[in-house]
Amino acid sequence: MTDTALAHAPAADRRRGEGLTAGMLIVPASIFVAFCLLAPLAILFRYSLNEFVTTKKMMVEAVTLANYVKFFTDPYYTTILGVTVRVAVTVTAVCLVLGFPLAYVVARTQSRFKHLLIIAIVLPLFVGNAVRAAGWMTVFGSRGFLNTTLQWLGLIDKPLEIMFTETAVIVGIIAVNLPFMVLSLQSVIEGIDRSVEEAAFSLGAPPGTMFRRVLWPLALPGILAGTILTFILAMNAYATPFLLGGPLFKMMAPLIYNQFTQQTNWPFGGAIAFILMTVTLGLTMAANLLIQRRRAS
Amino acid sequence: MSDVTLKRRALLGGTAALAFGAPYIARAQDNKRIVVGTWGGDYSRLLAKNIETPLLVPKGWDVIKDEAGDPPRRAKVLAEKSLRRGTSDIQGVSAANMYEMNEQGTILQLDYSKIANAKNLIPAMKYPYGVGHIYSGKVGLYNPKLMAAPTSFAEVLDPKHGNKLGIIDIQYQYTMLAASLAAGGKVGNFEPGKALLVACKKAGARIYPSNEAFAQALKTEEIACGIMWKARAVQWQNAGINVQTIAPKEGVPMYVSGFVVPKNAPNKDGSYAYLNAMLEASAQEGFAKDMGYNPTVTNAKVPDELRKRIGFTDEEQKRLVDLDYGYMAKNDSAFKEWWDKSFKG
Repeated sequence: MTDTALAHAPAADRRRGEGLTAGMLIVPASIFVAFCLLAPLAILFRYSLNEFVTTKKMMVEAVTLANYVKFFTDPYYTTILGVTVRVAVTVTAVCLVLGFPLAYVVARTQSRFKHLLIIAIVLPLFVGNAVRAAGWMTVFGSRGFLNTTLQWLGLIDKPLEIMFTETAVIVGIIAVNLPFMVLSLQSVIEGIDRSVEEAAFSLGAPPGTMFRRVLWPLALPGILAGTILTFILAMNAYATPFLLGGPLFKMMAPLIYNQFTQQTNWPFGGAIAFILMTVTLGLTMAANLLIQRRRAS
Repeated sequence: MSDVTLKRRALLGGTAALAFGAPYIARAQDNKRIVVGTWGGDYSRLLAKNIETPLLVPKGWDVIKDEAGDPPRRAKVLAEKSLRRGTSDIQGVSAANMYEMNEQGTILQLDYSKIANAKNLIPAMKYPYGVGHIYSGKVGLYNPKLMAAPTSFAEVLDPKHGNKLGIIDIQYQYTMLAASLAAGGKVGNFEPGKALLVACKKAGARIYPSNEAFAQALKTEEIACGIMWKARAVQWQNAGINVQTIAPKEGVPMYVSGFVVPKNAPNKDGSYAYLNAMLEASAQEGFAKDMGYNPTVTNAKVPDELRKRIGFTDEEQKRLVDLDYGYMAKNDSAFKEWWDKSFKG
């Protein structure tokens, strides 16, 4: 059928043809996702129902919820989940507070160096998380840049204990996640017409009111995207808590890695992985619903 | 038209031949390829310097490294257990982990008739399922500038040192063993040492994630003492760190690092060639000189001055104690759980 013939075909035929084309376009990605994500997840879920013989470090086929029960009945593990959620929420909140003004400036600037500003925000993403964490280690160590500088300035007598603390982990993850938040917000703020802000000002709204009544509600899709992205990344952070948190600080991702590799306890590792995934999804959906409702009201 | 058909057939035939033949060609190349699972860093570099480059490459072997810590490599071997062909020919692990892998049924029982140099092997380093490559002992480390020389594990793992005592997280098994010996326990019972470790932690003992982080803390004098392999202490001395060692009077737990062959290693001839090369006297002497570990073969010649630094005197050798690998493997999960929850938690 020629292009001309297609152009003159009935509308229903055209729609069917477009639908088929669209269907064909999503097939490769769907197959990839099905085999590379869903299949391993299904296998992992099956493993999480197996038993583990500690004396032989061997997985034994079974169908039991014991691994899930063990996690939720042992305060050691629930505390780690609590710490992970606390760190992720803190990181997300700080990223939002720090990221919004920055995103606003980048979105509104008329400077010819705007593209350089965007590159500067993206630039940290060119360096891997582990390398960045190694950089922080040289800053936070007892003889690191921060302590040496503070001691040199006479502000402290003995080094501050920053390395291997929750603070170090939070700072490290914020540094990783901030660009994601800024980019999500910047793209949405850019789409908000400047004239609506000016209209608010011309009607006598002070900057705070304009922000609360105009900018914030209109930027909500970007806020939602940024917070979801940042929260998920923080919940699943591995390299930063492992390297900056040290042996005494635990988050979920290093715990999963430890169960799989050091303990070879795949059933329990699988169960923790599913718990982390479910909690992350649950909290993300809850936040999404909350924001959608507020937006609707 | 017929020409086109012929060309098409020839093309199809050629493609099919290539597709079916390629694995055989690749496998033929694999026959001279040895995939070595090993730790990265110094150990991997020295394997290349002392074994691979001088002994295997001239014979046409192509050595490829799979570098990672031993837990992920062991997990990989376990994950590949059901495969006909695994992805590595030989794996470097500690004696305790050799035992554990053997219990899991993932490694080969060795045919020592295929390892000519095994005739020189110290009998204790000849495991049915693996070969000891180098060995050292767990000793007490201290900075002579900051404290007097201790004589025992009890004097090193003493709460009185407060935050000047350093403990390495990944060395939990040996730390529990040393604490047990310090508290009057033995290699087959770690229970007596638990209270001592908890007391040290309460007194402020610092816990480091890796051997390297511990060395850095010794260097910056953040800590004054701890326990570690004697060989590592020699390396750190060479790096300019002010640290001395003592052979604890309770006993010196041996650390043996060796190699095992996965049952599904794709090139077992290569595995045996590697095992044989690593037991060459020249390779063993190289490791003693470069890394501070003791040779596991009797024909390696180590200069007296070096032997004094890396080895143990006759009197100290009497105190060398091998580990109860069965006890450690059986209880490792419980040890780690106690370590994470009760000691660190």
